[in-house]
Amino acid sequence: MRRRFARILALAAAGGLAAAPAAAQTDPLAIIDRVDRLLRGDSSRGVATMEVVTEHWEREMTMEVWSLGTDYSLVRLRAPRRDAGTATLMAGDDIWNYLPKVDRTIKIPASMMGGAWMGSHFTNDDLVKESRLVDDFDVELAFEGDRDGAAVWEIRLTPKPEAAVVWGRIDFRIRKADSMPLWARYYDEDGELARTMEYSAFAEMGGRLVPGVMDMRPADKPEERTTFRYDELEFDVDLAPSFFSLRTLQRGR
Amino acid sequence: MRERPWPRIGWRNLARNRRRTVLTALGLAVGFFAVVFMIGWVRGITAELVENATSLVSGQIEIHHAEYRPDRSLYDTLGGREGLDVEALLRTIDADEAVTAAAPRVYAGGLVSSGEATSAGMFMGIDPEREPALTRFLDELVAGRLPEPGRFEVLVGDEMARQLGAGVGDELVLVGSAADGSMANDLYTVAGVFRTGLVEFDARTAVLTVGDLQALIYLDPDRIHEIAVATADPAEADAAAARLAAAIDAEGREIDVASWTVLNPVLVDYVGLAESTYWIFIVIIFAIASFGVANTMLMATFERRREFAVMLALGATPRAVVGTVLSEALAIGVLSLAFGSALAFPLMVWWAAAPPSLEWLFGSVTLQGALIEPSLRVGHHPAGWFWAGLGLLLTAFFAALYPAAKAARVPPADTLSGL
Repeated sequence: MRRRFARILALAAAGGLAAAPAAAQTDPLAIIDRVDRLLRGDSSRGVATMEVVTEHWEREMTMEVWSLGTDYSLVRLRAPRRDAGTATLMAGDDIWNYLPKVDRTIKIPASMMGGAWMGSHFTNDDLVKESRLVDDFDVELAFEGDRDGAAVWEIRLTPKPEAAVVWGRIDFRIRKADSMPLWARYYDEDGELARTMEYSAFAEMGGRLVPGVMDMRPADKPEERTTFRYDELEFDVDLAPSFFSLRTLQRGR
Repeated sequence: MRERPWPRIGWRNLARNRRRTVLTALGLAVGFFAVVFMIGWVRGITAELVENATSLVSGQIEIHHAEYRPDRSLYDTLGGREGLDVEALLRTIDADEAVTAAAPRVYAGGLVSSGEATSAGMFMGIDPEREPALTRFLDELVAGRLPEPGRFEVLVGDEMARQLGAGVGDELVLVGSAADGSMANDLYTVAGVFRTGLVEFDARTAVLTVGDLQALIYLDPDRIHEIAVATADPAEADAAAARLAAAIDAEGREIDVASWTVLNPVLVDYVGLAESTYWIFIVIIFAIASFGVANTMLMATFERRREFAVMLALGATPRAVVGTVLSEALAIGVLSLAFGSALAFPLMVWWAAAPPSLEWLFGSVTLQGALIEPSLRVGHHPAGWFWAGLGLLLTAFFAALYPAAKAARVPPADTLSGL
């Protein structure tokens, strides 16, 4: 019920946004929902590069990404060659990985949802849970005003009592001028900063202003990072839910 | 100095009512036996616990990179990034007198999938030649055989096999993070199924050969995470660990040599706790026995009131009367000790040599990560025997104090005149 309400609110807000981007919009729920949908639209297709830097190795992967609403997405690696064809399907709360080397599809068990996705600093949970921030969190406006010379909102998300989430709190800073997120800080249950996601390279892609680069840094290893960069992105592409199936996952390129 | 007659009087009084003497002595003797047996049994259980916990999967000693514990990072291999000459290290370790076996291991985490079902897994790379001498969990497989190198074979715990619906001959996909950050994955055939009885371990562990696991996760052949070492007796592990550390220059090469007492402090605490119960046995059992002795001695002195009255009338001091009674009590104590020893030691020797199984009574039990097959195994504990014996004599002595004091206060004239 609450979720549908949030959707309606968000849709209304999105409609308003097109007409008057700078109009005062201080319903934090709507702001967050809009940020949530920013990179998805109703449907999208893109090509992205993910660079992962850890203490022990560095990797760069190129991938093609499809999404439909907040429930479906499909990611298929194009490079490096050894991993090309490896794919991930997210449908609802579930994640499947397709492994071309052994030609098998594996559903990620619930106990491994906290594990790293493709060796990055994103977890499997990030892929499915992020799409439902407004469902799992109570949203409040923590600050509204100027920071570093720009008018921003700072929005604090605290988990609802019954929500099965790993974070104790998430803080977002969002630029008022164009509703672009600047960063998100994830805190653990003890209130310690666990990781920071920074958004940058805001650019028009597929007819929308989006952050072109997202940079995730774990707080305990500041020299490590995962940088996710969109090379191409288009919205409102022709995709049906049936596209997001195990068959598509296994079909490969 | 002339020998005092009181101890002899006390000793002879034992024969005054032999049946009563024997019953009292038997009470104390059974108490003594109970204490010796309980101490021995607790000692047997703790020895069994330690041996089981340190020989089922882990060794009595584990050798890691200094940083490996407790995070168990894939990258903290022995010798660091370059690894080291594993064969040379194993030769040095095997040369130690206390070492009965040593084996290299590689660990990684990931997923094991049969297609329909997937579970989180711990991959354990073992040397199929060396491992069986070290640990027991691969000795008797539920099904199949050990994996052979280079054949993409895997051994899984019975609980994992059940969850995945996989059996010998079935194919499993292993997925994990490789050392270069890529997604390691390959197809393996189930060669066998093992069972440790530790449900968590049996549900999570997939065993490959060291080489196959290194190939899966892109780890060089010189890089291993652990050398597990077995010693004949867990009690030797600390000394052996110190010798090994010196022999392989652990300090200079950032190697950590840890015995089970370091790796499993909870087990050490548990053993300490179990040993502290010895005192409780001694106190409780002899406290009960002391009332029996006190009762007997009170009866014995009461029926000899006239005798004590005569002694006192003839000039014996009250102290002499006390001496007589206490001598009698101590004589019972010595007799009981003889009975008790005759009862306890043959049984202890027998049960230590061939412990009768109690599995029909209890079934097997998992305790502190160790699988216990219940048996009447007993351990020897000479210090415990000494304290039990001393406890017995003190019990006899203190239980007789009150009767002795009563005897010394018998009023001679009144008693002899029949009042």
